[in-house]
Amino acid sequence: MQKILVIVIFLLFGISHSQNRPLLYNVDDLPQALLQNPGTRIDFTRHIGVPFFSQFHVFAGSTGVTAYDVFADNDTDINDRIRRVMNDLSSGDFFSVNQQLEVLSFGWKMGQRGYFSAGIYQELDVFAYFPKDPAVLAFEGNADYIGENFDFSDANFTGEVLTVYHAGFTYKLDPQLSIGGRVKLYSGIFNAESTQNEGVFRTDATPGGSNFYRHTLEGLDVMVRTSGYASLKDEEGMTVDQAVAELLRRSFFGQNFGLGVDLGFNYRLTEQFAINASIQDLGLMFHQKDVENYQYFGSYSTEGIEPLFPELDEDEATIPYWDIFEEELDANLLDETTTSPYNTWRPLKFNASFEIGTGKAILPCDYLISKKPRYMNLFGMLVSGVNRPKGPTYGVTTYWDRKLTNNLRFRVAYGVDEFSLTKIGLMASARLKNFNFYLAANDIIGYTNLARANSASMQFGMQFIFKDL
Amino acid sequence: MFRLKLIIVPTLIISCLSLTSCFKDVDFGQAPDIALEPDLQVDLAYYELNETDFFDSETNLYTPLIRDTLRLEFLDDDYIQDGLMFVEFRFRHENRFPFPVRSNIKFLNENNRREFSIAYTIPEGSTAMPSVVDTLKVMEGNDIRNVRRSIQMVMELDILGGGQELEGSLDFSSKGLFRFEF
Repeated sequence: MQKILVIVIFLLFGISHSQNRPLLYNVDDLPQALLQNPGTRIDFTRHIGVPFFSQFHVFAGSTGVTAYDVFADNDTDINDRIRRVMNDLSSGDFFSVNQQLEVLSFGWKMGQRGYFSAGIYQELDVFAYFPKDPAVLAFEGNADYIGENFDFSDANFTGEVLTVYHAGFTYKLDPQLSIGGRVKLYSGIFNAESTQNEGVFRTDATPGGSNFYRHTLEGLDVMVRTSGYASLKDEEGMTVDQAVAELLRRSFFGQNFGLGVDLGFNYRLTEQFAINASIQDLGLMFHQKDVENYQYFGSYSTEGIEPLFPELDEDEATIPYWDIFEEELDANLLDETTTSPYNTWRPLKFNASFEIGTGKAILPCDYLISKKPRYMNLFGMLVSGVNRPKGPTYGVTTYWDRKLTNNLRFRVAYGVDEFSLTKIGLMASARLKNFNFYLAANDIIGYTNLARANSASMQFGMQFIFKDL
Repeated sequence: MFRLKLIIVPTLIISCLSLTSCFKDVDFGQAPDIALEPDLQVDLAYYELNETDFFDSETNLYTPLIRDTLRLEFLDDDYIQDGLMFVEFRFRHENRFPFPVRSNIKFLNENNRREFSIAYTIPEGSTAMPSVVDTLKVMEGNDIRNVRRSIQMVMELDILGGGQELEGSLDFSSKGLFRFEF
């Protein structure tokens, strides 16, 4: 019965979400599992990552559109395809890129119940909703959209590059419950965000009015906030290489800082069944230096320009209607550049899962060793998500995690999320003596042709892991 | 040996997929063909004139010919100069004067030379039954250069007849459908 239940769950709820790296979640012999849940159970006593190589993670995805949709090598016109794609996409569709590079990673067991882990990683996170209305206005114009709103709230994006210094502690309260927390110091390299925009532009037909149409820009309030950008922009003649070098220099000594925490737990309800959950990056970035914000705001309505047919002498200049019109525009539609500090929430990630173990491992026959039984097959379901400006993005992953030996395991995952309904993932982790190497790729089907994939992600890394008995 | 295979096989699968993954069935060389082609409906000028506009404010003498000039600075912008491909102007007059009115709309360049014009006569009308003339002027192909060179819109009105007893009104509305290709 239990096996049937496991299979049903596996088939029915196979959904995954790439940004939270479901292929590494709950992998108890990888230190990277501690980065996703500081309260997770682990199966090692020390670890130290190969600097810059202990974890490289990259994820890119877009909902609703693939490279093939736009650049298909066929006889249709690319602009027709773009129009079709724009029709299909909504302002809720999004593009996302997330990359992490672990610079340092280490940890060790403290006492009988604790494990300390710390490290440094660099992260890039870009998330942009499809700016449907501004895009349609730019691509198609207003002619076919008389009487309809072009909403500027559709313009909504965040982007940041930062270095994260972190230290965490995992503590086994009792044989059933382990908890953990991680403190993070964020060092901001670059940030740009525009998330609370408002205002509509519309063109109304005005039969019986003064002119054919009335063009209205109402309640415009568009704000783009940046930190770490102004100094780059002001550097005249800076090449791309120089800009990259400057960003790298900042990667260790960023100008803006933030604080955050990860929290998590793992609870074994029975010997075979465990539940766990975590939140990551509950934190704020304080942007105070190298800040430049651009705001555009106001309202204005026009039906064109009304000439007054004044009585003028031959050499008398006409009324400067256009200048007056521009002055009115400038008085009503304002732009402002400020250097006011601002704060941003880090994208909060959350995970919750349960895991069922089957196939008990044969433990070493040594009365000095007190170990809980391990299961060679683990079936799990993970619900994960990331908080984004218009609300969380969700995903669910089910997986079969198979420990072939004490030094070798793999995981197969299947699922759907907002990017794909056919997301199959593979993870392999091997330990040769104390050297560990792991490789994981999600959306394997997509890898066969990235042009038709809505998303793809990959993690790999190498480190030394010690399982001192 | 079996265990070694078990390590190697999944690692190879993932590695092969990752390393051999590529973009198929697509041609990124089409990127330069991507064109923004917005069609913009834009109001131009409008007026609502009555008989007082045709009398000198000091001498009260009847002045059947009046004119005004509107600079359309936006026609000088880069996006017009580089991307404007088609314009459909629409001019609409409603004449409630009991006399025909000759309208001449001239588009001049910076040197006051005429690039193109639209002239027509609006028949006499009345308050109860205004006379309406609705005109389209399409500029495309080589003609679009005339629009790009234009910067002034001169509106000239000439009432054909009339005098001190003139009564009525003349309404004008205008717009342009501007088609771009960037």
